[in-house]
Amino acid sequence: MIVAARKPFEEIKEKVQGYKKLLVLGCGTCVSVCMAGGEREVKLLATQLRMANQLGNKDVEIGEATIQRQCDREYIEPIVEMAKNYDAVFSMACGAGVQLVADMLEPIPVIPALNTRFIGVTEAEGVWVERCHACGDCMLDKTGGICPVTRCAKSLLDGPCGGSVEGKCEISPDIPCAWQIIIDRLEALGQLDKLEEIAPPRDWSTSHAGGPRRITVEY
Amino acid sequence: MRAKRRVEQAKRLLEEVGLESERLEMFNLGASDAALFVAACNEMTERARRLGPNPLKRGKVK
Repeated sequence: MIVAARKPFEEIKEKVQGYKKLLVLGCGTCVSVCMAGGEREVKLLATQLRMANQLGNKDVEIGEATIQRQCDREYIEPIVEMAKNYDAVFSMACGAGVQLVADMLEPIPVIPALNTRFIGVTEAEGVWVERCHACGDCMLDKTGGICPVTRCAKSLLDGPCGGSVEGKCEISPDIPCAWQIIIDRLEALGQLDKLEEIAPPRDWSTSHAGGPRRITVEY
Repeated sequence: MRAKRRVEQAKRLLEEVGLESERLEMFNLGASDAALFVAACNEMTERARRLGPNPLKRGKVK
């Protein structure tokens, strides 16, 4: 899922200055799961803003809504008319959701409340870690289901660098060397021979280097 | 304990808004710890007197 984190409250307060009617709009999918922008977080942020406004003697009306997905037009359409009653919309979605809501609500300003961080998994309660770089050319079959593009700090494709010490990455002793765990996994799978194949230079045009990407599925 | 983490988060939220986080506290004590209960009550009473009324109570929150 896409993992995001709420912007600091001070930054949020700064961004909403000058607006008299503000809609806090949550997203019920990825950012809801990672507890950054779902219905509960909308209530929390809206309440905080109301309290801060009252303490600052500011007369601002704060509305709340959460839709299932901000990255799909059909889920945004039902709130378009309602959103026109507001001076601005504070979107608690990932960057994709913010942009689609901004497209559909123009000319109402749409402000991001979150910082979109990465595509990741739940590691423990309240802990998410990055697992996919969305490089567009998946090689997980060759690396035992562990992504070196994402999990190696240097995105190396042919084994560890000299900074791998006792299975840890040189950038932090808390981070396992991706290539150490790839080798361990391949050994457990009996597939160490896969490392005999030298990875050719990667075609990064499938990654972000090629500009905004597009997929079209024929129905 | 989840309750403890939630109280800590609520205290952070209050600080962000501009309210004193001391207005909220969680005390751990057993049903038979009368002396601790009294101490906790006295502590919160002293804090409430020191901090004064909740400024948000001046008017209804919109």
